[in-house]
Amino acid sequence: MDGYTNKIAWVDLGKGKISIQETDAEMKRQYIGGRGFGAHIISSQMDPLTDPLDPENIITFMTGPTTGTGIPLGSRYEVCTKSPLNGTLMSANSGGVFGWKMKKAGFDGVVISGKAKKPTYLYLENGNVEIRNAADYWGKTTHETTDALMADLDDPKARVLCIGPAGENLDLLACVINDRDRAAGRGGSGAVMGSKNLKAIVATGDQQIKVADPDRMDGVKERIRTKIQENGICDALHLYGTSVLVNIIHENGILPTRNFQSCDFPNPDDVSGERMRDTILKKEKGCYACIVKCSRVCEVEGETHEGPEYEGVWGFGPDLGIDDLPLITQANWLCNKLGLDNIGTAGSIACAMEMREKGYISEGPTFGDGTGLLELINQIGHREGFGAELSDGSFRFAVKYGHPELSMSVKMQDLPAYDPRGLQGHGLAYATSVRGGDHVYGYLISPEVLGSPEKLDPYESTGKALWVKVFQDLTAAIDASGLCLFTSFALNADDYADIMSATTGTEINATELLRVGERIWNVQKLFNLAVGYTKDDDTLPDRFLTEPLQNGAPKGRVWERQPMLDEYYAERGWDNEGVPTPKKIRELGLGEPGIMHAHT
Amino acid sequence: MQEDENRAEKMKVTVKVFATLRRFMEKESQVTIESGTTAGELLLMLTKEHPGLNNELFDETGVLREYVNILKNGRNIHFLNKLETIIEENDLIAIFPPSGGG
Ligand code: SF4
Repeated sequence: MDGYTNKIAWVDLGKGKISIQETDAEMKRQYIGGRGFGAHIISSQMDPLTDPLDPENIITFMTGPTTGTGIPLGSRYEVCTKSPLNGTLMSANSGGVFGWKMKKAGFDGVVISGKAKKPTYLYLENGNVEIRNAADYWGKTTHETTDALMADLDDPKARVLCIGPAGENLDLLACVINDRDRAAGRGGSGAVMGSKNLKAIVATGDQQIKVADPDRMDGVKERIRTKIQENGICDALHLYGTSVLVNIIHENGILPTRNFQSCDFPNPDDVSGERMRDTILKKEKGCYACIVKCSRVCEVEGETHEGPEYEGVWGFGPDLGIDDLPLITQANWLCNKLGLDNIGTAGSIACAMEMREKGYISEGPTFGDGTGLLELINQIGHREGFGAELSDGSFRFAVKYGHPELSMSVKMQDLPAYDPRGLQGHGLAYATSVRGGDHVYGYLISPEVLGSPEKLDPYESTGKALWVKVFQDLTAAIDASGLCLFTSFALNADDYADIMSATTGTEINATELLRVGERIWNVQKLFNLAVGYTKDDDTLPDRFLTEPLQNGAPKGRVWERQPMLDEYYAERGWDNEGVPTPKKIRELGLGEPGIMHAHT
Repeated sequence: MQEDENRAEKMKVTVKVFATLRRFMEKESQVTIESGTTAGELLLMLTKEHPGLNNELFDETGVLREYVNILKNGRNIHFLNKLETIIEENDLIAIFPPSGGG
């Protein structure tokens, strides 16, 4: 055994065909798992010009070799598909326990194409797959669906991944939810499930998950555990959750408010992780095998659920000019119930607020006013009323009303909670992310704000290109491994290589691991180029390049696209237009038979 | 007169602390220091007044812990003059223990 179950289920929902195939050895070597498997399978099996909501689009759910092995924070699975929001070859990552359960059910992952005639769910159990009728669950929220399936199946070991009304209504902001409140949030993958009439996936079973070298793994686990436990950042994550960032980011002058118009939100402490701990927090919670437990279980008005996280707190809080933490929490929960990406939903509402403020629309929400927020989110999820205008994200909305410049998005995907004018490297990571506006494909906040692994001057652009490349590649490798990205606060590339070697039995060093990450990144990039993305798209909304920040330490600064972008292309071995050179493609083995890329 | 000239001027600065540091001192306080005080001296002063802070900010050898961040008016002192950074009248000093998220 080598960490893998060595089975992947290929399901064609249109034909009702299921084929269970051995996990390809070469694919394991070249792509490790998770995001790597998904990116490779989709790019090699599908025409990049496929309409994302066409039955031909492929959606994969893939674990990594470490998922479910008991290694601390080895809880992840990845959803990959062609994003209906922006056409990129996207991945979205989620924790909880579902990934582990997929392995217990006997599968490294599932590859789904086609469209079922009727609402359907997939049932994975001990190496078998069934396509089942989901008529009873269609129309239900993610919480209702999960509860109903769990009750009907009467199997406490089962776990549910599903979409809510947003996915059914093909909202391009729709996400995938597992374990009630864990989200594979970005990119609109929930709409792809909806377009296939696929409501849910259930995983259960008692298959063994074994690693190649259990003795070595025991030692590795012990060492990793100590490193995580001794890491101060992980400690704070446990106590205050990800929202510990609210005050940090605010004090650095980069917490965006009012649709990124400024960074001077007056009451950050009211929506901080510290305030959450003092008020609505019931307990900390962890994903499978987690020793950090950064997730929050909160209580508001008699309801108790998991969440919210920093990005969602910022989105429905400071970015809308709202400082009511219980309301912000409810807004986040509602997104989970409806199966909506909270960053995209909040970003779209913020955009509408600015459009209203500027008089470009005559109805819609206004900054600082939380009345009607929950109703608006409901409308977005159900594609009703004014909310329907926002169901496909801020970009399409802003274009419709003639003001695309007010969409704070990159490649049509709304940006998360950090103003790039005070963060040159992080801005570059936003601009070049192969899934569009995003913070977890290269979290430069780590060195530029938190000081990990070392302190980099956030205002400096020199030298950032290489940092961004390395962070992006390492993140891709972590997303392939099945580990939570938060391990990276405590672990370095050598640690990951050690974990992978002990898990799979194939010796890999840090350089080779980064090479796997680079391969994944280039596969996604080549796909995006084939879709039609160009250098012009590797940028940020004009606001960040032309409107200097007015307050705080970064006052007067803008994001400096060049020469960073060209330096970045050079670091990547791409040409001046941001296209991987034939040499780079060969070097990464992307032209070889068996791992041939569909369009290179 | 000689003595008066040597006496350092007093001034007020605001100190804000976050996360675990709030166990040991008020989240925001006005602190009076002498002109010319460095960030390092201010931290020393604070740890004397609030002993619990010491272990949060410094390791056993007295070196500032990894990932502790001190901001002077929003700018990390690491990019100013580190612990030698001079604190000025009405400065806002923000002190963060190791913390992060995403
Ligand atoms: S650190 Fe947080 S997100 Fe990561 S596995 Fe643990 S609880 Fe889940």
